[in-house]
Amino acid sequence: MMINGTVVTLSRIQFASTALYHFLFVPLTLGLSFLLAAIETVYVTTGKPIYKDMARFWGKLLMINFALGVATGLTMEFQFGTNWSFYSGFVGDIFGAPLAIEGLMAFFMESTFIGLMMFGWERLSRGQHLAVTWLVAFGSNLSALWILVANSFMQNPHGAAFDPLTMRMQLTSFQQLIFNPDAQSKFVHTSVAGYVTAAIFVAGVSAYYMLRNRHVELAKRSFRMAALFGVLATIAVITLGDALGFVDARVQPTKLAAMEAVWQSEPAPMPFNLIAFPSQARRENLGAVRVPYLLSLLVTHSLSGTVPGADALERRAVQQIESGIPAVQALKVLARDPGNAAALAEFNAHRKDLGYGFLVQRYAPDLNDVTPAQIDRAARDIMPPVAAVFWSFRVMVALGLLMLAYFVIAVLYTLRNKIHRKSWLLKMSVWMIPVPFIANEAGWLVAELGRQPWTVFDVLPTWMSASTHSVAYMAFSLIGFLVLYTVFIAVEMYLMVRAIKLGPAAHGDPGGPRSPPRPALAPRVAPAAPYGGKLEG
Amino acid sequence: MRTFFYFVLFMIIAVGVIFLAAVLGARGAWYFAWLVGTAMIVLISAAGGALLDTQEEHAIERAAAERDRS
Repeated sequence: MMINGTVVTLSRIQFASTALYHFLFVPLTLGLSFLLAAIETVYVTTGKPIYKDMARFWGKLLMINFALGVATGLTMEFQFGTNWSFYSGFVGDIFGAPLAIEGLMAFFMESTFIGLMMFGWERLSRGQHLAVTWLVAFGSNLSALWILVANSFMQNPHGAAFDPLTMRMQLTSFQQLIFNPDAQSKFVHTSVAGYVTAAIFVAGVSAYYMLRNRHVELAKRSFRMAALFGVLATIAVITLGDALGFVDARVQPTKLAAMEAVWQSEPAPMPFNLIAFPSQARRENLGAVRVPYLLSLLVTHSLSGTVPGADALERRAVQQIESGIPAVQALKVLARDPGNAAALAEFNAHRKDLGYGFLVQRYAPDLNDVTPAQIDRAARDIMPPVAAVFWSFRVMVALGLLMLAYFVIAVLYTLRNKIHRKSWLLKMSVWMIPVPFIANEAGWLVAELGRQPWTVFDVLPTWMSASTHSVAYMAFSLIGFLVLYTVFIAVEMYLMVRAIKLGPAAHGDPGGPRSPPRPALAPRVAPAAPYGGKLEG
Repeated sequence: MRTFFYFVLFMIIAVGVIFLAAVLGARGAWYFAWLVGTAMIVLISAAGGALLDTQEEHAIERAAAERDRS
């Protein structure tokens, strides 16, 4: 049964919008949890109460973000079943395992320990509480690991094979699934991008306090730690982005061609399109500004390396489609007669191109009558939306370099302990807060738009992955999600701004209200002395 | 006795880390890099906080010494 194209588009918009909303919260949790671990490590090793107040304050902001991150993430897992039922049936055997482990990590390990972290200050010893904070950090990042293992299977399907008798993909190696090169580089890149996000967030909020001359001692320390955390993380995220590009160059050449808007293959050394306006219809770039030699150097790390252009990839796709057609035809025979040895042999001879047979089925439901024009049309589909991928990539990279420059300046001034006197840098720090969030969203767009037209790269096309809903159902649920998630964002912003305006004083700073411990649960740690001049513990 | 237990604990952790490094280093070099890199980022950030305390203490001592001289 052909799925209505509008339903597929609406399903894609729904998943993309919920993922983009969700991805506003996730990176901050990933990074803030480790920054919190760093702050609390200083508290436990030095015993200075200011670090406890810092940990409690940033922990509260982490908690707000975590709660909304979980709320927005829940619906996405359900969408696999509701809106992408063919996809779920086709790859559920592989995709389900990492998602289930992610659920266990997020809802058992992470949520349990975050509860202990928030409410255990008066009930746990310093060492125990520090261990809990580290476990929250590892829990949140390991939770992300499993999602990215699942996502990387979609980008570069490793550790699974299609079984023509069960008509679905089956897991062949869990190790290959976990140690997929795409999963490794993507997890590290995404996790460390979260560190950058948290560092900018903490630096920006600390700068806000210093500009208003509030909580200056706490803000100076937070800024110092965030700046060092951020500069190292930004260097790492750029390096790891290069590694991810290197992996993509081999396993997803169409994504790379779209990221760099390479329509025609060229001899080495290839120039880099710094700015261009790609036209998908004309298969060319309008108004391109090119830097000689740079593309070969960036992507292949050599002057003799080349990147295949869309023309070469489409020519190769024609051959793959022609090979994939007999695979789909054999599969149809096997669906009726699973014991047909000739059909099985035919399928095995062409199985590597099965996905390309599915790709042309969109234009030729009856593969017995497929025309060269239909094959050419399907071959042109292998290129993702180039302009969107090209510009999302450039926005991400440009903002990454901007953040690196910012952190280098911030580290220079904070190491000299002069940051509180540099009002221009403090104002800049506040304005920098949205930057990593935009970069994260742009990066996610590159990863997911660049995977098109596949849900599982080279295996399962997007057009046949969706559920057979009605357009009205999809439109109604899409509007519902957008309204609900916009409310979530508004709630997050309100709670964050309120907590920041209240400041750490309300959470245990000297001068702020501090509720006495309950008699039955008296603290084991001696009450913190107010910090002043020397901030001794 | 307490020192001995700490010694045993840290030895277990060290052997665990070597085992992890051997396994991850061969199969998942980026995962291993993430573990090492995260630990480094957290510890350098923590050291930066402690360094600020020392800088401020020295600044206070210097200010006090200058007051004494004047």
